[in-house]
Amino acid sequence: MSEMWINMGPQHPMTHGLWNLRVRIDGELILDVDPEMGYLHRGIEKISEDRHYNEVVTLMDRTCYVAGMAWEHLYILGAEKALHITPPERAEYIRTMSEEFQRIASHIMWYAAFVQDLGLMSPFLYGMRDRDLLLDLFQSYTGARMTYEYMRVGGVRNDLPHGFSDRARKVLDWLMERFKEYDQLCMGSDIFRRRCDGLGVLSAQDCIDFGVTGPMLRSAGVARDLRKDRPYSVYGRVDFDVARATTADVTGRYLVRMEEMRQSVRILRQVLDWLDRNPGPVMAENLPRWLGAPYAPIGREGYLLKREYPKGVGFAAIEEPHGEAAVYVVNEGGEHPYRVKFRSPVYVNLSAARKYLVGYHVADIPPIMGSVDVCVGESDR
Amino acid sequence: MTAAPASSVQWPELLGNSLIALEPLEGTSGRLRFRAADAERVFRAVHDAGFHHLTLVGGIDWVDHREVIYTLWSDERKSYLFLSTDLPADHPSIATATKVWPSANWHEREAWEMVDIHFDGHPDLRHLLMPDGYEFHPLLRSFKLHEPEDLEVKVRHV
Repeated sequence: MSEMWINMGPQHPMTHGLWNLRVRIDGELILDVDPEMGYLHRGIEKISEDRHYNEVVTLMDRTCYVAGMAWEHLYILGAEKALHITPPERAEYIRTMSEEFQRIASHIMWYAAFVQDLGLMSPFLYGMRDRDLLLDLFQSYTGARMTYEYMRVGGVRNDLPHGFSDRARKVLDWLMERFKEYDQLCMGSDIFRRRCDGLGVLSAQDCIDFGVTGPMLRSAGVARDLRKDRPYSVYGRVDFDVARATTADVTGRYLVRMEEMRQSVRILRQVLDWLDRNPGPVMAENLPRWLGAPYAPIGREGYLLKREYPKGVGFAAIEEPHGEAAVYVVNEGGEHPYRVKFRSPVYVNLSAARKYLVGYHVADIPPIMGSVDVCVGESDR
Repeated sequence: MTAAPASSVQWPELLGNSLIALEPLEGTSGRLRFRAADAERVFRAVHDAGFHHLTLVGGIDWVDHREVIYTLWSDERKSYLFLSTDLPADHPSIATATKVWPSANWHEREAWEMVDIHFDGHPDLRHLLMPDGYEFHPLLRSFKLHEPEDLEVKVRHV
């Protein structure tokens, strides 16, 4: 057989975004792959250098458009460290809650898209239906379904509306029932298992060498989860288990994500209970107007009230739905960050593509890449 | 079981005169400033001290010089460590970290195209996020997005 390169993307249904997987094949066998990125590069790190600290939050929603809250959380944690600001406790709880809701929403989105890649249409519809309930919750306290712009340096924009926690608990109860159905649909399906078992294997050692994190790493048996290992916000105060599998294949990643959603529900119930019992401020006090004042329009005069903050660098890392995300914010005084550097988990997980694709067949690419949970918005930034 | 914190590693003994300073950095076990010429030795020593996971490699343009930062994670110590080194602006070049941490590959490609830092010995130093043949390095301070006065008029005039 003669070898050849084929392009899967940038408009292939497998890609879930704009990127190009160049594959060298011999017949059906994959000999080599070379991901081509950059189709969705918007220069977020560069634009951040020209924006006020709170304005960067707007970009964070667009960085990963299915996990906006997680990215807002990440950036705000880094910016607060760089500016030496401490948020009130209630704001930290609300952020944790937002991130966990976002994790469930992101994993459901992954489930819907991944199972559709395998040719099963109905789980896609169920997934989108259930994700909509979470988007309704987001809408009820941020006003937006996707681009929230909710978190601020020093806290969050506004408190939760009346009756929010009851609505949220109803959604969680509903979701726990639906997760059982998801499992029956997939793990109970012989076709699904034959399509996924033993595919895309990436051993624990390879994961660590190639920087792969998140559900891919945990499916290989490594229980690394920054929420547990290096608790940020209030993760140190809630009970949950780190989901893990041992097969390191597509099925393992599926199981890890399903268990993570259940653990997120567990975290959310504890956080909602705390929020019910502990009213309080959600913004730090004595912030300059360009940083604080949650309801103040970002007007021209707001920017003129400069306050020099002591210089500093802030580093934050969170367990984003796709893996370990990190940010490095350099504050040189003044209103703009001097440099913002992001670490996108998807970017690194994709860079190891050669390791988990070579040796399989072309028809295996959609399930394997589906199990990676590619979000090109965050990998290209 | 919790292993000893990373600050208990005797970095001066381990790295000798490759080490310039160990600075504190909030939420991490510190920032290690090292001599760029000894990069390979430092990478190997840090890796062997338990920091097997490379989180990010980033370049910062300080106009008169460039800085490269490496963030590492140790599963045993459950903590991050920063490495940082300064490179001259006229010839910013450092040894690649891909031999020690294969995951540095794409990070270094990005740092090269964005901040114009050359990584000696990198296996595949070509454009990643920018199109082939792109001549600029967008994250240099000299690369301007727009003039501030344009911004005043077009965007911020509420």
